[in-house]
This record gives sequence, structure tokens and C-alpha cells, in this order.
Amino acid sequence: MSGSAHISDLTFEFVNGSAWAMVRSHFDVKSFGVNAYVAAEPGTEVIGEHDELGADAGKHEEVYFVSSGHTTFTVNGDEIDAPMGTFVFVRDPAAKRKAVAHEAGTTVLIVGGKPGEAFTPSVWERQAPALMFFSKGDYEQAAEQYEQLLADAPENAVFLYNLACAQSHLGRKREALDHLREAIEKRPELCAGAVKDPDFDGVRDDPEFSAITGQVGSAGTGS
Amino acid sequence: MSEKAYEVAHLDELDRFPVDDEGLLWRPVRRRLGITAFGMNAYTAEKGDERVVEEHQEKDGHDELYFVASGRATFVLGEEEIDAPAGTFVHAEPGTKRGAVATEPNTTVIAIGAKPGVPHEVSKWEEIFVAFGHYRKGDEAAAREHLTKFVAENDGEWQGHYNLACLEALTKNREGAIAELKRAIELDPQAKEYAANDEDFDWLRDNPEFPA
Repeated sequence: MSGSAHISDLTFEFVNGSAWAMVRSHFDVKSFGVNAYVAAEPGTEVIGEHDELGADAGKHEEVYFVSSGHTTFTVNGDEIDAPMGTFVFVRDPAAKRKAVAHEAGTTVLIVGGKPGEAFTPSVWERQAPALMFFSKGDYEQAAEQYEQLLADAPENAVFLYNLACAQSHLGRKREALDHLREAIEKRPELCAGAVKDPDFDGVRDDPEFSAITGQVGSAGTGS
Repeated sequence: MSEKAYEVAHLDELDRFPVDDEGLLWRPVRRRLGITAFGMNAYTAEKGDERVVEEHQEKDGHDELYFVASGRATFVLGEEEIDAPAGTFVHAEPGTKRGAVATEPNTTVIAIGAKPGVPHEVSKWEEIFVAFGHYRKGDEAAAREHLTKFVAENDGEWQGHYNLACLEALTKNREGAIAELKRAIELDPQAKEYAANDEDFDWLRDNPEFPA
């Protein structure tokens, strides 16, 4: 749709006070990806370390534009001082990149697309509405969104993990533990996060939770 | 040699090519960074109260998103008028009339665009804009060198010859202008229609050799 919005009207709290603006999905932009992140405080990773090769990633070339504040980018180990007005273009999808904010409110726009291919939203970006419901504490809607996403991508470990989080909040212990187990079986590195993740407070005391997070592969013995 | 994994540029370091005689500056971002998956440019109005996005409709089907990076502008989007301070996004679907006038000095708008459903193709028009940018900055030699190179690389396309004809006409090179315009018309007769209404050629119209 054609329309306008200020970035402050598109942001919602994402994690630890930082905010995410779902620009592409808000306007239904169809030909490139575009989102923005806002750091809660100095020292925040406004762009978390990642590359564009993961199963959920779009293999995009990406432009980062520091629209306010000040950051330090690290790309393939090179540190780049990036005050407001800086463009950092990462053409290599294999390049590891992250950005740390120097000031609260530092905002970075990201624009991405895959060279030589028509744009389609990445699997990762498709969970934006679900994350928004999470940030509002609407776990019922968040769970519904993840169930819909999993209908199209049943092997996606992050979707399974986040569905488990929502179900934990909703008191659906059995489903939460089953989905958490499945997520960790598919992606064992999710285990470390689950141990500390407050979203699992609702199932943490269950012996099966300890089995899933303590002994990957023998999960399910507590039931 | 393999391409570098990343490029960095600050807005202040981007080229400043005049687009018109009213002060609108084109600041090529895609071209500077080597982006290939979508188009990206910045436009700056230094004085304020000047056009910062030309009024147009993107008839070639581009989806465009504008971001006000600094200053403030009034956008027209379809029939709507939008006050857009720094931090505002304006999205225009293909075919929607859009344009913007800066309302503060040093207003910069970043434009991002691509055509939905197909791989992005870098617009060859960028190189023509660069050539005329050099001309408007008073560097005729750079303009001619840039456009001549572009024509040599795209000899079968009328637009290059037509624009070189314009440049030759603007710099009062009668023979060059007529030769290039003839070549453009040979390649595509619509060049004749454009030339008939193009004021760049006004001083040449009475010449018996003028082909339009």
C-alpha cells in the first residue's frame, strides 16, 4: 500500500528494551527487505552478529544506514566507526557482521535483497507479527502465528522454540515441552538459551524440562 | 581479485550532482557502494524550500520507499499532502504520483526502489544522470567523456545517442548534435518526437540538417 509513517510509530519492543520497526511488512513492500532496529542503551548490539547464510536467512546483500546515534560495526573482524549518516554495505552473504550502539536510541535501517533474484521475504522476517504479539504479552495470538508459520516450515527450529515459549506462558506445559524438545533436537545450540530463558519459567520446575535441556538426546525420560 | 566483502561511505562523502537548475542534488548511493539487488539514492535540498523528490509516477513499475534522513519535507502522495520530518518513511506503489519539497535547509531523502517479482536490473540512466551532473557543475569535459564512454558501451540504444546529442547542443557543437540525433532517430523514431519538443535543440531547429 502507498502511505507514510514515522519510524517511532512502527517500532515495538523487541528484546531487553531494544525496538524493531517492521517497515517492509507495514507497507507491504514487495521488492526488497527493509527494517530498522533501535538500541535501548549504550553497549547494546543494535545489529546482532549474524551472516546471511543460515537456513532462515535470505542470502541477501545488505545495506545498513545509521539514521541516528552512533555505532561501531564489525564486519569479518574489521571494526568500522559508524556515526549517524554512515552506510555500511555488506555484499558478501558469508561475512559476519554486527553493530554495537554508543548511544541510547541509536537507530539502524537495514535494506536487503538477493542479487539476480526476485525478492521474497526471508523465513526469519515472516515471524515479525508473531514477535510483535510476544512483545505485547499476547501469547495466544503469538502461538497462533507460530502455528501458521510452522504449517509452511515445519522443520524450523526457531519457530518451534518460540511456539514453546508462547505455550509455556499460556500454561500449556505438555505442548511447550514437546515443541521445546523438537526445537533442541533440530538445533542443539538453542539449549543454552532455553536454560536461562524466562519464557520457560512456567515449565522450568518440570523434570522433563531438565531432561530436555540437560541431556539432549535422552529427552522425554521424565514423562 | 575477489570483491571486497563490504563497503562504507558517509552521506557527506557521496557525490553531489545537480539534477536541475533549482538546487536539487542527486547523491548516488547504489553506484558508490556497488549494490545490485535494488536501487538506492539520496537527494539533498541544501537551502530548504526546494524540490527534494521530483514529482513522478514510476511508470516502469518500481516499488519505492523514501526515508527522510535529515531536515523536513512536504510530500505529495497521490492526492494526499504529508508533513514528513526526519525519520519519516513514505511508500509509493507503482503508478502513484509522488514528489517532495524540502521545508528545512539540508533536507536529505533516501530513495530505495526495485520492481516487484523480477530480479533487479541496474538502471543505465544513472550514467546519463552522472554525465549531466558533471555538465551542470560546469565540467563539460567530464560530461562528454562520461557520455561518450556510455554511448560506446551501449551503441545500439537510442537513449545514449539522444542524450549525447543534447549535450552537444547545450555546448553549441552543431555538427556533433545533429550527427548524434540522426543516429538516435535511426535506432528509434521516437527520438524524433522527443527532439521536436526538447528546448535543448531550439537554436538548431532552423538548420536544414536538423532531423526533427
